[in-house]
Amino acid sequence: MPQPMPETVTFEQIGRLLEGAVDQIRHHHERLSRLDSAVGDGDHGITILRAMEAVSQTVAQNPEGDLQQLFSKIAWAVMSCDGGSTGPLLGTFFAGMGEAGAGKRDLDGPGLVALIEAGIQQLQKQSRARIGDKTMMDAFLPALAAMKSAAPDEAPSRILQLAAEAAARGAEATTGMRAKFGRARNLGDRVLGHLDPGAVSVSLLFQGFSETASRFTADPGEQRQPGLFQIPIPTTTTPTKLDVGIPS
Amino acid sequence: MTMKKFINDPANLTRELLEGFVIAHGDLVRVQSDKIICRAQPKPGNRVALVTLGGAGHEPALSGFVGPGMLDYSVVGDIFAAPGPPKVLEALRLANREAGILFVVLNHAGDVMSANIAREMAEREGIRYRMILTHEDIAPGKDAPAEDRRGLVGCLPLCKIAGAAAEAGRSLDEVHALASRFNDNMATLAVAMKTATHPASGQPIFELPDDQMEIGMGQHGEAGTGPSPILTADQTAQRMLEPLIEAVKAKAGDRLMLLINGSGATTLMEMYIVLRGCRAYLDSRGIRIAVARCGEFLTVQEMAGFQLFVARLDDELLGYWNAPCHTPALTMT
Repeated sequence: MPQPMPETVTFEQIGRLLEGAVDQIRHHHERLSRLDSAVGDGDHGITILRAMEAVSQTVAQNPEGDLQQLFSKIAWAVMSCDGGSTGPLLGTFFAGMGEAGAGKRDLDGPGLVALIEAGIQQLQKQSRARIGDKTMMDAFLPALAAMKSAAPDEAPSRILQLAAEAAARGAEATTGMRAKFGRARNLGDRVLGHLDPGAVSVSLLFQGFSETASRFTADPGEQRQPGLFQIPIPTTTTPTKLDVGIPS
Repeated sequence: MTMKKFINDPANLTRELLEGFVIAHGDLVRVQSDKIICRAQPKPGNRVALVTLGGAGHEPALSGFVGPGMLDYSVVGDIFAAPGPPKVLEALRLANREAGILFVVLNHAGDVMSANIAREMAEREGIRYRMILTHEDIAPGKDAPAEDRRGLVGCLPLCKIAGAAAEAGRSLDEVHALASRFNDNMATLAVAMKTATHPASGQPIFELPDDQMEIGMGQHGEAGTGPSPILTADQTAQRMLEPLIEAVKAKAGDRLMLLINGSGATTLMEMYIVLRGCRAYLDSRGIRIAVARCGEFLTVQEMAGFQLFVARLDDELLGYWNAPCHTPALTMT
């Protein structure tokens, strides 16, 4: 019999979710930089890797305390990584999660959604980007919408799976967009056909959360492999989605 | 392909270049908390301090202009990337003084974001500052919204003028007003001839065919108005000056500051030839050159091209421009 999916994620499991996100970036950072060469100056992979390594270190150093302390420290560590707008944006996201995490260690499904929503709301105070502007928001906002559409009694792992799928679709859609922010804005039509590396990074973070959460269930038969690599892409027949639009 | 640069580990570029920078200019500057360049002899606290921030890879900018008569603190990021808000906040704390801080920010997404997060925190701590955002690039069109216009080399003459006013004991509001006036009357247009290699990634920062140039290219390879055939120096000067003059509304009899800022691989020979072409064109319009300079102030690695900067001057602005300064990259006596 498969065990029921856990209805809460513990403080320790949240650390593992973050570590899962870090692993995704470790695995894909070179491709992210190649994506960025098409629309920016080619350093996004290095930058986001540095930021996520700071997340990893902070998680390892903070096994105690509540989610406010954890995410505030993560935010400061990420912002301390020099990296154009990526560090401040990602740091702002984590700072917002920190503000919503006061006194909390374990979260149920709605609690998890509220935490992530607080992060995205904080981000929206710093960036006016909306869906369609070819930024991180093209992954963040669909992920949030998908999580909020989940039933209140939905398990966190299922919620994160929905988020990862929506974030991946959102990131994919950036190929058809012109950029309204950052350096890519000045490239006009030249960015059409290229993924936004920031949106892809965000979808990888949710992919990492989702894959890690799916492993919290004991029965491997129940494991899901959601996310980026299984969503059909309209523009290509290759199964490895991240190869789309990446100059070699 | 192997990157043809004299570097060590690409991960240590900023730290190593700053180490060398303070060896060369230890009489004028020192490095604090790894990424903050400050004066070797701090300015008295009754004078307004100038603080700025920006990515590395543009040497001598911005840290090369720290010293008497110009900047007090320069917060250095990674290659072409803004420093994070915590370091910027640290610099604002270091600069904190009764006279206040003029906080000069170039309009680039990362710089602005770091600056905004840092200054919100600084405000909560009661740090007194006023901010100037430079956005004098006219590549998106002179009427484009300010937020679409990047801050290019113009921040440097602005800091020269504001720095001289600060040194002279002018108040924060006065220094800010002066800097704003200069900011409102300056414009830059860049041209690129050959790409540069990003020294961390080893990749070219943009592609440009051998027989093409691009007017409007930003200082990180941001696209301009599209590639065009290569023009002569005189044609280039005229093509670029026309919209610049219009942007600063210069008329016959006006006095201009004109800077030709080499991007890294354009020779001083070429810059002088372009300057000569600029002079001829301005003469034909009856506009006078009050200040003319050629050189590398804010570079983009080994990119070929230059930024052509103009500003309309009045007596007060010209006076502060001509005041002495002593920095690693600019000395005026």
